Amino acid sequence: MIKADRGYSVFKWLILVFFAVFLVIPIARLMTSITWDSLVKIIKSAAFGRALRTSLTVAVLATVISIAIAYVAAWAVTRTAIPCKGVFTLLATLPMLIPSYSHASGLVFLFGQNGVLTNALHLDLLFGKSSYIYGIPGIVMGSVLFSVPLAFIMIADVMRYQDCTPYEAAEVMGIPKPNRFLAITYPYFRKPMISIIFVVFTAIITDYGVPHIIGGKVITVAEMMFQKTVKLLDYNTGSVLGLILLFPAVISFLLDFTNKDKGNMSFVGRRFEIVKSFRKDAVAFILIVVISLYLLIPLICAAYNSVLTSYPTDMTFTLEHFRTVVFKSGFKYLRNSLIIAVVVSLFGILLVTVTAYLSARMKSKLSRVLHLVSMTAMAVPGVVLGLSYVIVFKKSVIYNTFLIMFLVNAVHMFASPYLMMYNTFSKLNENLESVGVSLGISRWHMFKDVIFPLAKSTVWDAMSYFFIQCMKTITAVAFLWSTYTKPLAIKIDEYNAMIETENVAVATLSILAVNILFKLIVYLRQQAIARSRTREGNVILPDLMSNRKQACC
Amino acid sequence: METNRKIKLQVKELYKSFGAKIALDHVSFDVEDGEFLSILGPSGCGKTTILRILIGLLEPTSGTILKDGADITRLPASKRGMGIVFQNYALFENMTVLGNVEYALKFNKETKPRARELALEQIENVGLTEYINKKPHTLSGGQQQRVAIARTLALHPDVILFDEPMSALDVATRLSLRDELKSIQHKLGTTMIYITHDQEEAFALSDHIIVMDNAVIHQHDKPMNIVESPADEYIRSFVIHNLALKIHSLSKYAGGTSHD
Repeated sequence: MIKADRGYSVFKWLILVFFAVFLVIPIARLMTSITWDSLVKIIKSAAFGRALRTSLTVAVLATVISIAIAYVAAWAVTRTAIPCKGVFTLLATLPMLIPSYSHASGLVFLFGQNGVLTNALHLDLLFGKSSYIYGIPGIVMGSVLFSVPLAFIMIADVMRYQDCTPYEAAEVMGIPKPNRFLAITYPYFRKPMISIIFVVFTAIITDYGVPHIIGGKVITVAEMMFQKTVKLLDYNTGSVLGLILLFPAVISFLLDFTNKDKGNMSFVGRRFEIVKSFRKDAVAFILIVVISLYLLIPLICAAYNSVLTSYPTDMTFTLEHFRTVVFKSGFKYLRNSLIIAVVVSLFGILLVTVTAYLSARMKSKLSRVLHLVSMTAMAVPGVVLGLSYVIVFKKSVIYNTFLIMFLVNAVHMFASPYLMMYNTFSKLNENLESVGVSLGISRWHMFKDVIFPLAKSTVWDAMSYFFIQCMKTITAVAFLWSTYTKPLAIKIDEYNAMIETENVAVATLSILAVNILFKLIVYLRQQAIARSRTREGNVILPDLMSNRKQACC
Repeated sequence: METNRKIKLQVKELYKSFGAKIALDHVSFDVEDGEFLSILGPSGCGKTTILRILIGLLEPTSGTILKDGADITRLPASKRGMGIVFQNYALFENMTVLGNVEYALKFNKETKPRARELALEQIENVGLTEYINKKPHTLSGGQQQRVAIARTLALHPDVILFDEPMSALDVATRLSLRDELKSIQHKLGTTMIYITHDQEEAFALSDHIIVMDNAVIHQHDKPMNIVESPADEYIRSFVIHNLALKIHSLSKYAGGTSHD
């Protein structure tokens, strides 16, 4: 720590107080509100036992399938010579831009009781009943839809930065391929894979959107928690279930944290060189096309369903649903979503930038505490945070306001963008501030004119994370919306309950369109930033020389 | 070198501890005006602590620093008339060469045209005039070093400190940067204090060398004297051994006959 920095501790304390009030205390209150008796009673109940078994079955199955699909997709875009890699990467990540309600709705539209494929292919006869998709099959398929993109991004990242030199050495030494897998591939992937598996598992087990839409009579722990608290206002049971859901999230967080700290990704060797092979590339191409089609089911279905008057009774084309959802009665929900997304991205980026700057560029013991607290936001599932806010803020003035929606989203989504900014700030030359001190430039000016401009590209990434997550989230906000603040993603549940599947489809497409638009803006801004990195100045010397002469005279 | 020069800096009984760890144990030395002094030692020996205290980024637990006879121990960094060049230079990557040199002048009570004039003067001094509009990362390592020096020189320091500026670079670049640094010093005659763990670098550049280990100075002398009459066993084993090996291998490569 530079001696001139001592005064900044007060900012670190302020942020710590913020996290104490809006993260630590609510979670602590949620946990302390649980009595031993109620815990035992709920855990021993038959309903809970069934829900837990369903949750575990679904989460294990969906995790295995997601990781397998994501691995194949990541392999295709990083290790083969297939064309249009950029397009496939983009398509594989598109499903991340919509709420999990939408994924399940797409499946219902295709395979549901009156689903397009059920009717066209008479799948009901094949499966012996018309409700074959509702329950575990549907929940697994839906969970896979939203978790593949998540796993794909992480696995592709691990593959992209893998060092190929051990494989070359093995080639030279004539080690057979199966042995190479055990000796090189497995040890390299083991650690990151464990983290990825837990992240995916946690995302699936804490999601209530898919089971809510497609679960039928089958109930998972997350869905049960949602039912108990939002529908029945039974916060006691909700808290116990929240506590259960906290476990996988905390384990996932700890695994990730310890894995990252060892810095096993720190050295960079040589990247893989892609060798063209017709057979391998053809297989990869077919696989990635199939995977992309599967992942796009919800979007394709939404696009089709949105222009039908009323599926399946009136199949005529109409744009009436767009008018209803985007401009008429649905407009206020879209507006609410936009308000929340814009405010949270602005407030969030401010909070993230200041926190990351303080913890990355003013090292002290307090900075480490700040870093740790910032990261713990990641360990709390949105549904748990949402419920804890209900318990703590129910009687406060911020309850039922936009403010609580802003706060819960900012805290819930804080960790990822924080890490992006932290990493960027950490990578800048550690002596920049010392240079500033020695040259008489204040901390603030160094930040404004040097540090922040160098982090601009990441700032856009972080903002886009906040924005997109706010548009699609149905977790924390599900417990906290009021009639004035209800966002569009939450409204989907209501459309669904009233069997207005066309409106569900339009809401999905609206959220998608807004998110794609925002992504596009971010992309263009980042292109401009990249260009400015090498842009030269335009000071013309002869001019200056004449100025100088004048000054001398 | 034998002429008696003015004393530029006097470091007296500098002591610094971080908790229980003693980083500097009553260290004293003088620096002559216009000399090139290296502080040589392994990492953790206290050399970087000296540097950070000299420039004013860190306060000593006790001891004093005199510059031209005046006590500067508690003076803010920017008021000490010293400049510093850090590892990898810590240039402002988002600014042009001119921007890098000019930027600090704006905060030191210079008018805009005057700041530009001073900046251009320094850039000319280090021979980078044709690069004023370039961004740092498009320049070579040597050019970046010159930008860092020009940026420091713009505030007219009479002492420049170097914090292992070349330690992250490859051998070939280091050799050429070393020559450049030497020629800049000859041209400007500024007092330079150079922190390094690289013996070869210290011996090639310096008028005097301070060899440190474990928070104390083992020897402060001319390079030749350190080789010829090492002050203690540590110097003998640490410096001479390595150096002798290098000379031995170099003479072999050169085809010269060795002693054996």
